[in-house]
Parts: sequence; structure tokens; C-alpha cells
Amino acid sequence: MGVTAPTGVEDRGSRAPRPRSAVAGDGRAEPRVRVRAPGEPRRVAYLYVAPAMLFYAVFAFAPLIYTGWLSFFDWDGITVGTWAGLDNYRELWDDPGIRTSFVHSFVLIIFYAFVPCFLGLVLASLIAHSRVRGATFFRAVLFLPQTIATVVIAIAWVWIYAPDGPLNEALRAVGLGSLARGWLGDFDFALPALGLVGSWVMFGLCLVLFLAGIQKIPISLYEAARVDGAGRVREFFAVTLPGLRGELAVALTLTTIMALRTFDLIYVSTAGGPGTQTTVPSVLVYQNAFVNGKVGLAAAVAVVLTALIFVVAFGITRIVDRDPSR
Amino acid sequence: MRVRWLSAVALVVLAFVVAACGGTPGQKKPAASTSESTAQNVKTDGFDSLGPVTLRVVSSETGEGPKKAIVEMTKAFEQKYPNVTVKVSYRAFDSWIKQVKLSLASKNPPDVVAGNQGYQVDGELVKAGLILPLTKYAKAYGWEQSFSPQSLQQFKWSPDGKTFGQGTLYGIAQSGQSTGVFANTAKLQKAGVDPAQLKSFDDFDAALAKIKATLPADEPVIMLGNKEQYEALHVWGMLQGAYTPAQEVRDWIFHRSGKTFDTPGNRQALAKFKEWNDKGYLGRGDDYNGRGEQDAATLFARGQGAFMLAGNWNAQTILDGLKDKAAFFDMPAGKSGKVAAIGSASVPIHIASKSKQPDLAAAYIDWIAGKPASPTLVNTTQVPAILDATAKPTQKFGQEVAGGWEKLIADGGLTFFHDWSSPTMLETIGQSFQELLAGKASVNDVVSRIQKDWSDYDSELKSGS
Repeated sequence: MGVTAPTGVEDRGSRAPRPRSAVAGDGRAEPRVRVRAPGEPRRVAYLYVAPAMLFYAVFAFAPLIYTGWLSFFDWDGITVGTWAGLDNYRELWDDPGIRTSFVHSFVLIIFYAFVPCFLGLVLASLIAHSRVRGATFFRAVLFLPQTIATVVIAIAWVWIYAPDGPLNEALRAVGLGSLARGWLGDFDFALPALGLVGSWVMFGLCLVLFLAGIQKIPISLYEAARVDGAGRVREFFAVTLPGLRGELAVALTLTTIMALRTFDLIYVSTAGGPGTQTTVPSVLVYQNAFVNGKVGLAAAVAVVLTALIFVVAFGITRIVDRDPSR
Repeated sequence: MRVRWLSAVALVVLAFVVAACGGTPGQKKPAASTSESTAQNVKTDGFDSLGPVTLRVVSSETGEGPKKAIVEMTKAFEQKYPNVTVKVSYRAFDSWIKQVKLSLASKNPPDVVAGNQGYQVDGELVKAGLILPLTKYAKAYGWEQSFSPQSLQQFKWSPDGKTFGQGTLYGIAQSGQSTGVFANTAKLQKAGVDPAQLKSFDDFDAALAKIKATLPADEPVIMLGNKEQYEALHVWGMLQGAYTPAQEVRDWIFHRSGKTFDTPGNRQALAKFKEWNDKGYLGRGDDYNGRGEQDAATLFARGQGAFMLAGNWNAQTILDGLKDKAAFFDMPAGKSGKVAAIGSASVPIHIASKSKQPDLAAAYIDWIAGKPASPTLVNTTQVPAILDATAKPTQKFGQEVAGGWEKLIADGGLTFFHDWSSPTMLETIGQSFQELLAGKASVNDVVSRIQKDWSDYDSELKSGS
């Protein structure tokens, strides 16, 4: 839902009003019936987008609005709810547990977005122009986590992180037994441990995006950089990074959204524990709606989360995807 | 630009108007059924004449022994009435209690479902009128005589779902579920501890130190799996029972006025729990927080740990693993001399208000939980909840498990489950206990958080909203 919301609004904002403002701008001199310039938007275009818009309105926009509506109620999910005004939002603001859950989300952003993008950039720039045997194979393997259902990933990693799971066995085998622990049961390590799973999943996506992006940077730019005497580091900052700005924006947006709305991984592996160490807003939405019978509060958390995702995604596109030369 | 913003605002306003047309969420409680509470109009037999019917059942008994029992009894029921098909779906308790409300509120709900005692599940189901009062069936099948008042109390509610522990009967249960001490007698012997000599809680406490000395450093004395966060509560319930009379605990759970969690007994019990943890009796925190109850029972059955303080529903798993080394007893009594521990009848079985075959559903419930169920329950190392059970366990371990339940009944020591006391209590207790053991919260923090949850819900109950 988070992914589609910004683009949908974009559609309405940028496309629809344009013809009207054009009319308003020089409408006075315009004859009533005018010859349409080629490529000029036509009303009939609405007909083309209508099926998609209808689908979007019914399955994305309507539930979103209804969730917003529910957030103003005190409702247990079955019996008739009572109007609560902004009480749910006030509770959300006052409850330290809910606030902390948003902090956990931001920790996850580091692991889901920054770590994979950084590693992806480094690795992509290293291997892009060198011939590696079986590069396609490695790319496929690194991309594989993206294709696996999150529940499967969660179960696999619960096993890896278990007190006598492979990770701890490996640590013990190399004499680091003192580091071995039940990673997901440890108050300090549970959240980073889950974050690393996110890094693992997202890394392949970032790498593939960046590799594809590098391919379309003209090779002549690299040659020019070489002629000017740039080393690999200089070349990276002068040619590769600017050339990948668009891909970086896409990667950061996708991964950040995934970090903010992550639910299945945490629900299956820790359910928010130990204590509340890995509780994130989406888990609170679930718990409040289906366990605690506080659907209104759950809806309020969901609304805030959606707004946050919107703002963050918008911010990233604004900051990263702005071409200074434009 | 302004036009854009204005149209965006207009759009949101429009959307809310549309949403508001959806009206206030939720459905009105169905009008109370006019059926008389006489036993005469209840059909208890002769379902053969109904023609082919299907009874849909959701059971939350996924443990080894309990599930086997349901499978066998269901098969026998279908043999008794060949025209009746019983479709049982087994759902993990943990996830089922999150869906039961939605499931029963749907258009075509299952006929017979498992619920859970307390305000979180049953209270909400009663309030919404989603389950049937069973008064007339109780008369027809004699449940008021078969079950102890203490057992039936757990399924009684006022029709508005606010008063718990008295009023109309809404369900019955299959088995007696109490928590107690599972022991690996081989490990006790090695440490020179004789379970028969553990006569008081202090004896038990002292034995822990003795056993700790004979075990490898990384092996816990008490096997615990606390991944789901409720397991530590079961352990603590036995500590609480050593310091606090069971009646006190029950009154608190039922929201009798003037009750509080902030008592010297509860503080002592919490401090003792932390002490056990800090002395290493429970093993490493990241270990026990990383495994669930079933994992812990399996590990204990394989010989890890000397004790496991847990529910008797683990009996079959532990018996299968430890064989003749398995023993079970109630946590020895504290100063009061009376045993007390968490325990109750097993989860209630309800009939959906929308069921088209309530009489048949009641017959099935009596079949799996009333008198006809005793032999099967005993065979699967469970304790029938009814007092006039028609079968008794013959083998030592089974007798110990049954004996533990009976002694708790005799001493009036079933405290019930603390999480019944509010819809959010399971979460509150689970999290704060985990934090207490990890040293992230003090006894003070825990007491005030739990009591705050209780009194918040208490004022909600009294405000009449």
C-alpha cells in the first residue's frame, strides 16, 4: 500500500490539473474550439486510466480511508464502536511503548536500507567492469532471498540463530564459544540480529539494481576519468555514484519502505520479544487489532505508520534523486 | 499549486464523508434467544433421524496427548451417529485466540469452538452475543453435578460480559490443567535429593542449590522455554502460591473490589524468581527466551535439566522421553501449608450462537468433555475435569499427574491464570517478567505496570462503556 500511495497521488497532482491550468494561463486569447497540438492531453485519457484507478480506489484507497475512519473510534472489533475523537492518537503519543516501536523501525532502516545500499555500491563498482566467471550465477544467487517468502526466511533464520543452531555451533568450532548465545532471545542482540536478516534479503536487490545502472553509464566517462588520472576511488565518486543517483533513490525508497512495514519476519521469529525489544509499529497494529481488542488504536498506529512511510519515501526521492545539473 | 492543495484537501474530506457513510463500525448484539431454560426441549439423543449433517469444530488442542484424544473421541462420535460428519480443524491455541472473535462474527461460523477464560476472549464473546448460554444443556447432561463449582465458575459471566466468575454458564472444559513440578528422578538421585522429602517450599528452594552443584555449569536446573512469554508466568505462579493464598489471587483476577497486585507476597515471589535466575537455576536468559514451551518440554524429555515447572499438558511428551525417570508433584506448600499454583479447567468449549445444530453441538461437547470422555482422556495422560470420572489412571506417572490436580482442588489452590484479568494482561505480564529476569526492570516496575493494567481495565469495567 505504501508503495502505491505516493505514485497515485502523483498521478492526480501532476497529470490531471495540467490541461486546466494551461487553459487558465492563456485562456483569454484562446478560441473556444481550438486545434489540439500533437501530444496535448485529451479528456478521453481518463477513460484509459479509469480501470486501474477504479481498482486502486477499491482495493487501496478505500481501505486506507476506512482505516483512517476507524482510528477515531473506540472499537473492540465486534460490538458497536463508540466515537473517540483524537483519543487514540493521544494514547499513541503518550504511550512510551508505541514511541519506542518507531525507534526500533528506524534502527531497522539502517540494516534494511543503508547497509545493503552501501555494500551493494561497493561490490557493484568493483565487479561491474571486470570479467568475473559465472557472474550471472552469482547475481542470481545473491538475488535469491528476494524471491523467497518472508515466513520461510524467518523460520530458516530462527533455526540459524537458535541457542544450538548452526551459527553458535560455528562460533564454538572456531573457539569463540563465549560469543555464542540465543541471538533472538538476547535483549541487546535480538533487534540487530533481525536487522541483519533484512540486510541479507535486501542486499541482492540493491546489487542487481546498481549493476544494471552501471551498465548504462557511458564507458567513455570512465575512459575520460582515467585519462584525467583518476584512481578507482576518485572514479567512483566522480562517475559511478552520480550515474547511479536514480537507482540509489529507487533502492533506498524500496528498502526503507520494507524496513518500516516489516511484519512477517518479526511476527514469526520473535513476536516483538524479548520484552519489547523488537516490537515495531506493524506488530503493534496486529496485537492491538486482533489480540487486545483495540481496533481504533491499531488503526491510529497504522495511519501514522502510513504517513511516516509516505514522508520518508518522499524525502528520499527529494534528496537523492535531484540532479544538480537540471 | 494552490489549486492542487485545495483539491487534495477536498479529496480527503470527500473520502471521509464516504467513509462516514460506512457508519459506526461493529454489529449489534443479536436479541437474546427466547428459548426457555428447561431441560425438556433439549434433544440429547436420536440424532440419527437428522439425515446427513456436518458439525464444524475448531479445537486448539494441538499437544500430543490432547489432540490424540479429540481424534479418537470424534471418530467414536461419528460411529455412534453415522449420519453425522464432524469436521475438526486443529489450530494452534496462540493464533486461534486471535481469530476466534472474527471467526464467530462471520456469516457462517463453526458450530463448536475453543475459547479462553477471561476478559480477553470469553468476555468479548459473551459481550457480543456470539456464544450460546448453556444453562439448559447443563441441566440435561447434569454438568452442574459433574463439575466442581470452582471449575464451572471459570465459564460463568453476566450477559454483558462484565462480571466474570458468576452468572450464566457459557462453556465446559475437558480436562484439569494445573501447573506443577516435573522431575527427572535420575538427576535428583545424583544430587542426593529425595522428592518425597521436599515437604515445604523452602526444602525445594534448598534442593535447587544442591542440584545446581552436581550439574554441568551450562545446564539449567529448571528447564524453561519463554519465547512466547507466558511460560515464565506459569513458573512464577508456583512461587506466588508459596507466599500468597490462592483466594487472594482469584479475587484479583475476577476484579473483586479493592484488590491490588502490590502485596508483600507478590513482591517476595518476584524477588525470589529473580534470585533463581541470578543464581543460574534457569540457565541463560538468551537461551530460555529463544525457545518455546514445546521445545523446552522436548529438551527436558531428552534429559536436559532436573526440573521443569510447567503445565500438566506436557505430561505425555515428558513421559515419552523420560519413561520411568519421569515424576510429577505439586510445588511444595509455603507457610500456609496449602499448595497453590496456576491451574484451571482446560480451555472452554463453546457453541456458536449462529449454529444451526445447537443440540447436536451440545451432545458432541458432552461426548468429548463430559462423562463419556473419561477413559480416552486418562489414556492420553490427561486429567478429566469432571469429578465423577469413569476411569482412573493405572500407571504411576499418570497417577501423580492426576494426584497433583486433585490435591490442588482439595486445598482450594487453583489460582487460575493471571492473564484472564484484562485483555492486555498477557502482554503486560509477559513483557515485564522477561525484563525483570533480564535485569531491565525492577520488582517495583513490574508491580506497578501490572497493577496499572489491572486498574485501567477495572475502571473501564466500572465506567460502563
